[in-house]
Amino acid sequence: MKKIKKQDIAKLLSQWQKDFTVFVPSKESGTAEMAVWDGKDAGFLDWYRNTVVPPKANFLQNMEKLFGFRKEGGSFKLETPPPETRKQLIFGIRPCDARAIAIIDMVFKDAYEDKYYLSRRQNSLLIGMGCVKPYDSCFCTSLGLGPAEAADVDIMLTDTGDEYLIEEITAKGKELLAKTSGAETASQTDENKAVAVKQAAYNKVTRKIDTKQIKQRLPDAFENKEFWEGVSAKCVSCGICTFLCPTCYCFDINDEMLKGDGARYRNWDSCSFPVYTKMPAENPREEKWKRVRQKVNHKYDFYPRLFNVIACTGCGRCIRQCPVNWDITQTLSGLPAGAPVTEKK
Amino acid sequence: MTSKIEQKLRSVARELLEQGKVGTIVGYEAGSLKFTNTPLITKDKEAADRLVINPFIINNLSVFLKDIGGKVGVVAKGCDIRSIVSLIQDKQLARENVVIIGVPCAGIIDLDKIEKLMGKDRDELDDIVRENDKVIVTVQRSKKEYPAKDVLIDSCLACDQPKIKEYDILLDEEATVVCDDEASRSLIKKLEAMPPAQRWEFWKSQFERCIRCYACRQVCPACYCKRCFVEETEPAWISPLPKWQDNLIFQVTRMMHVAGRCTDCGACERACPVGIPLHSLSKKMAEIVQELFEYQAGTDKDALPLMAAYESKEAEDLIR
Ligand code: SF4
Ligand code: SF4
Ligand code: SF4
Ligand code: SF4
Repeated sequence: MKKIKKQDIAKLLSQWQKDFTVFVPSKESGTAEMAVWDGKDAGFLDWYRNTVVPPKANFLQNMEKLFGFRKEGGSFKLETPPPETRKQLIFGIRPCDARAIAIIDMVFKDAYEDKYYLSRRQNSLLIGMGCVKPYDSCFCTSLGLGPAEAADVDIMLTDTGDEYLIEEITAKGKELLAKTSGAETASQTDENKAVAVKQAAYNKVTRKIDTKQIKQRLPDAFENKEFWEGVSAKCVSCGICTFLCPTCYCFDINDEMLKGDGARYRNWDSCSFPVYTKMPAENPREEKWKRVRQKVNHKYDFYPRLFNVIACTGCGRCIRQCPVNWDITQTLSGLPAGAPVTEKK
Repeated sequence: MTSKIEQKLRSVARELLEQGKVGTIVGYEAGSLKFTNTPLITKDKEAADRLVINPFIINNLSVFLKDIGGKVGVVAKGCDIRSIVSLIQDKQLARENVVIIGVPCAGIIDLDKIEKLMGKDRDELDDIVRENDKVIVTVQRSKKEYPAKDVLIDSCLACDQPKIKEYDILLDEEATVVCDDEASRSLIKKLEAMPPAQRWEFWKSQFERCIRCYACRQVCPACYCKRCFVEETEPAWISPLPKWQDNLIFQVTRMMHVAGRCTDCGACERACPVGIPLHSLSKKMAEIVQELFEYQAGTDKDALPLMAAYESKEAEDLIR
């Protein structure tokens, strides 16, 4: 294991900048998000807890061009954009968001090979950073991970005060570190320090849910209209919780054309919007309680059935950013016990 | 600790439900995060004991009224009441179907401003207390004092309706608001002073980060259209893609649509997850409405809605 002084982080980033587009937490635009490093300093270390926009945006962009088309004579000529070859390095990704990308992989890499997603995914390196100050809305420790989880990144950093302990996790990470200068070898004392930091961080995550209980109760509550109406009453059906959720991946497809020249795009979509399921004849989720039920079930029931993992990493964004403080952990903890409710006709 | 005003609210709400005067109560209860409240929408009289009033009741609850049906008792600050009045003017709500429980409000504390001043997030703060024209923030037993006008919500600073006119039950005497219109329009002033090209660049950079979550529209009581122009597809007015140009057109059109109904309550700006300064648009527009038509949204339930009335003396220079 290695270590680096905090003031030397910028030197590390400059080395990496030669081979990668380096993304770091930034508030430059006015919103905390992963943005291309300006090459100056690592000032973000002072404020960074997590970003508002999750790093999923680096893989599943909120809007991306799939292909262009041009009218030529009686038909259209397609122009496929060249595959993404730019290598990106995401510095400081939090364990919850790195896990979220592993969860999205199951859809865009395993179940189906989405070349747009994959071209970015395969050209990326994730430098994780453990949390020392989790938010009061974080509940990652209930979902099989924690503020020091390193399983989903290439290199993991742990904040030990004036330094970061550096762990190489994957072969890719090892390779990068081998050609990086500036990091020293860590001592046993450093490693022990990191262990203590990790444990302390784990204990700071106090929001909890009981996934075993949820697994039992959620399917039983599916037809419980009264329950879902109750929990959804204050939701205003905006797109915040889904757009900013690191595991939500729904998209819409839109064409744009001007004077015979056009392109097909895909952009984020949300099951919170009534129009999401609108079809010519009917809308199966016209009512709000059905949409809220869908969001919760997709994460905590449907996804586990398909991929054997809950599609929520407890990042807490949906709780922090919701304009009405709709809290998924309260909904999950409030699931009624007892016999399944069957649909009332 | 339950304050006097909260005790009164709870007994009033319980009584309204018990006596069948309303079917539903809409108010605030403690949220799941620090200094955060959440809307409480309930038919259960026992839940009335969860109602709270504090300087963090940021939501404009009038947005929920239309969909509830039956008689509704609603906890409302002065600005929220203006939204309710505007909905009544627009015949979206019948006056007899709402029981307005008026809350004298001395201004809502803006947690974003406090976070900036303190250099800390809200969950790292121990206490925030309002004392007359001061706000005191405590972190690890050390206290910091700020003039209220530095930490109140911009819309509150522009509030000129502290005296509640339209109500059924009033929870307390009026509160003293710290008004500072100059501070409320500080960004507007900067924008007004910019040459158009620079102003254009400013809004371009703002709308570049709009993610089109539509939270601004969804929390807005004046945005009650069943079908928003954004969702029209034949013809499509704007693209659903979050390009800055379309994002800007969306917001500008939305602002035009709510002209004369928008009370500058600030709910849209507070909801925006990427911090686009929408109050600069809503307030500026309210100022234009005032200047051109001598009209203030939601101040007279018997007045014709701005866009439904015409007077021959109306400004000829409307289009400029
Ligand atoms: S839960 Fe909150 S963030 Fe999600 S759609 Fe409802 S109001 Fe919006
Ligand atoms: S559902 Fe909420 S807590 Fe879970 S991953 Fe999504 S945003 Fe984070
Ligand atoms: S709330 Fe903000 S980000 Fe969302 S659509 Fe409105 S302006 Fe855009
Ligand atoms: S546009 Fe914004 S400020 Fe105006 S009424 Fe709607 S939410 Fe309030």
